[in-house]
Amino acid sequence: MSESIHASVSTEILNIQSAYDFVTDPVHGAVDLFIGAVRNHHEGQSVQGMTYDVHEALAEKTFMEICKEAQKRWGDIKIYISHYKGQLDIGGISVIIAVGSAHRAESFEACRYSIEELKKRSPVWKQEHYEHGPSEWLPGHSLKSGAHG
Amino acid sequence: MSDISIHVKLFGAFRKFGESIDFSMPVGSTIAAVKKALQQKLNGEGLVFDSVLANNSAILRDHDVLDKDTELSILPPVCGG
Repeated sequence: MSESIHASVSTEILNIQSAYDFVTDPVHGAVDLFIGAVRNHHEGQSVQGMTYDVHEALAEKTFMEICKEAQKRWGDIKIYISHYKGQLDIGGISVIIAVGSAHRAESFEACRYSIEELKKRSPVWKQEHYEHGPSEWLPGHSLKSGAHG
Repeated sequence: MSDISIHVKLFGAFRKFGESIDFSMPVGSTIAAVKKALQQKLNGEGLVFDSVLANNSAILRDHDVLDKDTELSILPPVCGG
């Protein structure tokens, strides 16, 4: 039986084809692919690039948990999550999530679930680099509610 | 009472203070006490209290107790994607 989950942090440029290839399967008729990319503006400021800081061990553990949750909710799906660590220019790919499933509904829903959970729970931070002014770390979601217990 | 060594790796907005910070705490210190000490070491940085301390496998609770030399990470609010 082939693996059904890929969860990684990468300092190499993320590869869309690798994500697609991982989740395709003869029994699957749908693949949904989410790609996060660096945009050139934020709240009226011109952005030149982004640095992504990541706690790799905890991030990969969180990605794996999210993938398992998605499989529990949507059944027989293959799921791929990879997040970039390092600096990217405008248009650079920061995250790829791919989900393969028998029918499109499961793929769409599991992919949306995964990116929303990733943004709330994964130890990843963004530092925006502006055309005018100093770079800034962006605010985010506190992990205080995630303390194990 | 003897002391233990605490090594804290810094992430995100804490990077302005360097890669990591080291200090000592009494054996049996709680994570809450470590956060308070860390805040003082980081010039009163208030972000510490919106952040969590973690080891390489889990986020730790404020009442967790440290009884040996420990490597931790301080994780500020997250914004991946």
